[in-house]
Amino acid sequence: MDVREELAAVRGRLRRESGGDGLGFTLLSAAIAALLVSPVAWLFLRVADIPTPEALSLVTRPSMVDVVLSSGLLVVAVTVGSVLLGVPLAFLTVRTDLPGRRPLTVLLALPLVVPSYIGAFAFVSAFGPRGVVADALAPLGIERLPETPGLPGAAIVLTLYVYPYVFLTTRAALLSLDASHVEAARTLGKSRFAAFREVTFPRIVPGIAAGALLVALYTLSDFGTPAIMGADVFTAQIYVEYNNFGENRAALLSLELLAITTVILALESRVGRDDASAYASGGGGSATRIRLGAWRWVAALGGLVVAALALVLPVGILLLWLVRGGPGYAGGGFEFELAYALNSVGVSTAAALVSVLLALPVGYVAARRSSITGRLAERATYVGYAMPGVVLGLALVFFGVKFAPTLYQTLPLLVFAYVVRFLPQAVGTTSSSVLQVDQQLVEAARALGESPGRAFRRVTLPLIWPGILAGAALVFLTTMKELPATLILRPTGFETLVSYIWLVQGAGYYGRAAIPALTLIAVSALSMAVILAQERR
Amino acid sequence: MTDGLDRRTRRRFLAMTGAASATALAGCNGLLNDGSDGNGSGDGGSGGDSLEDFRGSGANVGGRGEISGTRIDDLPDLSGQLNIYLGGGEGGLYTDLLSLLSQRYPDFKPNFRLEPSSQLASKIAEEQSGGGSFADVFWAVDAGSLANVAAQGYTRPLPDDVVAAAPEEFRPDNAWVGVAGRARAVPYNTNQLSESDIPDKIRDFPEAGALRNSVGWAPTYSSFQAFITAMRLTRGDEGTRRWVNGMQEAGVSEYNNEFLVSNAVADGELAAGFANHYYALRVKAARPNAPLDLAFTSGDAGALINVSGAEVLQGTSKPQLAENFVAHLLTVEAQEFFATRTFAYPMIEGVPPVGGLPRISELDPPNIDLTKLGDLEGTIDLLRDTGAL
Repeated sequence: MDVREELAAVRGRLRRESGGDGLGFTLLSAAIAALLVSPVAWLFLRVADIPTPEALSLVTRPSMVDVVLSSGLLVVAVTVGSVLLGVPLAFLTVRTDLPGRRPLTVLLALPLVVPSYIGAFAFVSAFGPRGVVADALAPLGIERLPETPGLPGAAIVLTLYVYPYVFLTTRAALLSLDASHVEAARTLGKSRFAAFREVTFPRIVPGIAAGALLVALYTLSDFGTPAIMGADVFTAQIYVEYNNFGENRAALLSLELLAITTVILALESRVGRDDASAYASGGGGSATRIRLGAWRWVAALGGLVVAALALVLPVGILLLWLVRGGPGYAGGGFEFELAYALNSVGVSTAAALVSVLLALPVGYVAARRSSITGRLAERATYVGYAMPGVVLGLALVFFGVKFAPTLYQTLPLLVFAYVVRFLPQAVGTTSSSVLQVDQQLVEAARALGESPGRAFRRVTLPLIWPGILAGAALVFLTTMKELPATLILRPTGFETLVSYIWLVQGAGYYGRAAIPALTLIAVSALSMAVILAQERR
Repeated sequence: MTDGLDRRTRRRFLAMTGAASATALAGCNGLLNDGSDGNGSGDGGSGGDSLEDFRGSGANVGGRGEISGTRIDDLPDLSGQLNIYLGGGEGGLYTDLLSLLSQRYPDFKPNFRLEPSSQLASKIAEEQSGGGSFADVFWAVDAGSLANVAAQGYTRPLPDDVVAAAPEEFRPDNAWVGVAGRARAVPYNTNQLSESDIPDKIRDFPEAGALRNSVGWAPTYSSFQAFITAMRLTRGDEGTRRWVNGMQEAGVSEYNNEFLVSNAVADGELAAGFANHYYALRVKAARPNAPLDLAFTSGDAGALINVSGAEVLQGTSKPQLAENFVAHLLTVEAQEFFATRTFAYPMIEGVPPVGGLPRISELDPPNIDLTKLGDLEGTIDLLRDTGAL
C-alpha cells in the first residue's frame, strides 16, 4: 500500500470520525486542546528528575494519604453543597412565582465575582475567635465563638462562592426546557413532583452536571480558601513545596492532582450529555409558573439569606477595613493607582476574547454529534482548569525561559495562561448553546444554496451568540480574580488589582486592600450583568 | 558581672504612650510620579531629599539620637532602569523606599517584581539555568533565599567598598549583603505574664506552666521555618522533633502569619507567641497602649537573627547601577528608613534600632551559618511528620 493510498484511507477514517462536520474543524479543535494541555509536559519533565525511591516514599507517606482524603472530601462536600443550593434556587427563580425574581437572580449569581480568598478572609475576620461578630456578642456574655476553620469551614465558604456555577447552568437548562412536555405530563394526571422527576429533571441533568464539574475542578485548584481556613489539601501542600525550593516534589503533587482531575472528568462523562437537551425549542419561561402561595415569601427569604451570607459579609468587612484604623488596617505600602484596575480589565478582556475564539471550534465540534476526537478535545480543555495557578505559572516560566525567551514575562504569555485555566467555561456555554440550535434551520439554509461557512455565519452564529457572550463574561470575571499565575507571569512592574491586594496584605495593611477589592467586585459584577442579560432573548 | 552561660540579654520596650496616628507619612504620600514633568519638585517639597523624608514617625520612633554613616550625597547618582526582584513580606514597605529613591533621582526607574522570596529564588534559578537574566538585583527578605541563589553561582560578588559597612556575618564571601535584620522574639501579654514567666531557653518552652494552652505559632510562615531549620542545625532532627511534639502537647495554637500571632497576644487571646520582633512593634505603632512586650531567648534557635538582603545577579547588563543601588541600601537614609518604618535592625553601626530594642550586637544569636538556612526540605518534612504543617 503506497503512501497516497494510506493517506486517503486515513482521511476517510478521519472524515467518518468527525461526523461529517468538516475535518478542518475537528483537527483545529484537537490542535487547540493539545496546545492547552502542553504545560502538563513540563510536569512530566520535572517529575522525571526525581529519584524513584524518593518519589515512591513521597506518594506513599501517611500524610499524603491524608491530603488525598481531605482534597477528595472537600471536592465532594463543595460539589454536593453547590448542587443542593444551586438547583433549588435555579428552579425557584425560573419556574415559580417567587416575588422579586429578577433582582434575586442577580443577587444569587453575584457571589461568583467575589474572589474566594477575600470571602474566606472576611469569614475569618467575622467569625473567628475575636472577630467582629465575637466582639459584638461579647457584651451578651458569649465568650468565644466556635472555631470553624479547617475542612468544614473551607467547604462552607467555598460552597457559598461557587454554587453560582450550578445555579447559572441549571437556570440555562430550565430556561431552554420545552414547557409543553411538562404540561403534557401534567394533563396526563401526573403530580407536580412526578412531572419534575420524570420530565424536567432528566432534561436538566446535563446542565447540572456541567455546573457541578466546574465546581469540582475549581475546588481542586483553589488555593486561597483552604489556605486561609487551614485545610490541608493538595494546593496548600504544593504551595509549601514551591516556597521551599521543592519544585520537583511540587510537580509530583501536581501530577497526582491532575490524576484526580481525570477521574472527575471521567465521572462527569458518565453523567454526560444525553441528546434530550439537544431538542430544545426554547420558551420554557412562558410555562405556567408554579404557585407557591405563602411559601413563596419563605423561599424568597431563603434565597436572600444565601446571597447575604455570601455578599454582605465580605463587602461589609471590606468597608469596615476602609473606615477602621485598627492594627494593620492602614499604613505604608505603596499607593493604589487607577492603572492597576485598567491593567486588570485589559488582560481579562484579552483573555475573554481569545477564549471565545478558541472555544468556538472546540465547543462546536464537541456538541455536534459525537466524534471521539471532538469529545476528547473538549475534555482535555478541562485539564488546565483544574491546574492550580502556581503550577501552571511555573510550567510556563520553564517553557518561556527555555523555548520562548521573547515571550517570557510578556502579556501574551500571561493571557495564554488565563486561557489555559479558564477556557472550559467558554467551551461549556458554547457547546450547550450549539446543542440547542435546531439543525433543521441549518439544513434549510444549506438547501437554499448557502455554503457551510455562510450557513454557520448566518444561521448558527446568531443563535449561539448569547452562549458565547456568557462564556466570555465568565472567563472575564474569573481572570479578574486569578492570583497565583498572575503573580508569577506578569511582566516586571505590571501590577493588577489582585497583585496589589496581595502586596498590601502581605505587608499586613488590610485597609489598603479594601478599595482595590471593592473595585474588583464592582467591575466583575458588571460582567455578571452581561451573563444574566443573555438569558432573556 | 556576667557569667557567660546564663547571661540574660533582655531589654524591655520603653513603655510608650501617646497618640499614634496610623503613620502620618512625611513626604511619602505622593504617587510615584514618573518624573516626567522634569522640573524637579513642583510644590510642597519633593520627597527623598532629607533624612526626615526617610524617617518614620509614631510611638515607637521617639527621639532619634545622633546617627552616622555613608550618606546618599556621598554616592554617585542612580540613573536608568533597574529590574529588581523583591521578596514578599515587608516588600510592600520596601516599595516606599524605592519610590523615595526615584523621587530623589528623577532618572532612576526601579522596576520591581514582588513575589514570595523563595519563589523568586526558584524563578531566578529557572531563568539563569535557561541562560537568561531578567533581573539585575535580587532583594529578598530571608538569608535562605539569598544563599540558595548564591550557592548555585548565580550572583556577582559585591565590591568590598559597597558592603564594608555591614557586619561580616551578614556578607558571606560578598555574594550578598544584609540590609535590615530581624530577630526571633517572644511577644507576650503583659497583663497575663511577667518577663520572668518566659523561659530564657527555647528548649524550656514545652514545660513552661505559665504558657500552657496559650502560645501561638505560624508554621507556614517562612521565618518560623527558618527558626526550626536553625533548631535542626543546633539540636539535630530528633531534638527538634521532640520540641515540636512537646509544644503540641502543651496546646500551641496555629495562626496564618506572625502579625496575627502578635495581634492575638495583644488581644489577650494568647499569653505569648513565636514571632519576628518587628510585628509586635507594628502592633504597638497602631495601638500604643496594647499590653504587649518582647522577650528574647539567648544563644539558641529562638534568638536567631535573619536578614533581608540584596545580591547582584549574573548576566546583568547594568552591574554598576546594580552595585550602586545596593550601596544606597546601606546609607544612613535607607538604614533610618528600615529602622523607623519597618522596625528592623539596621545593619550599620551608626544607626540604632527603635523602640528600646537591644542593639543587634547585644543580642545573643545561635552560632550557625546563615547560608545553611537554605536547607528547608528537612524542616518541611519534619513539620509535616509531626503534623504541625
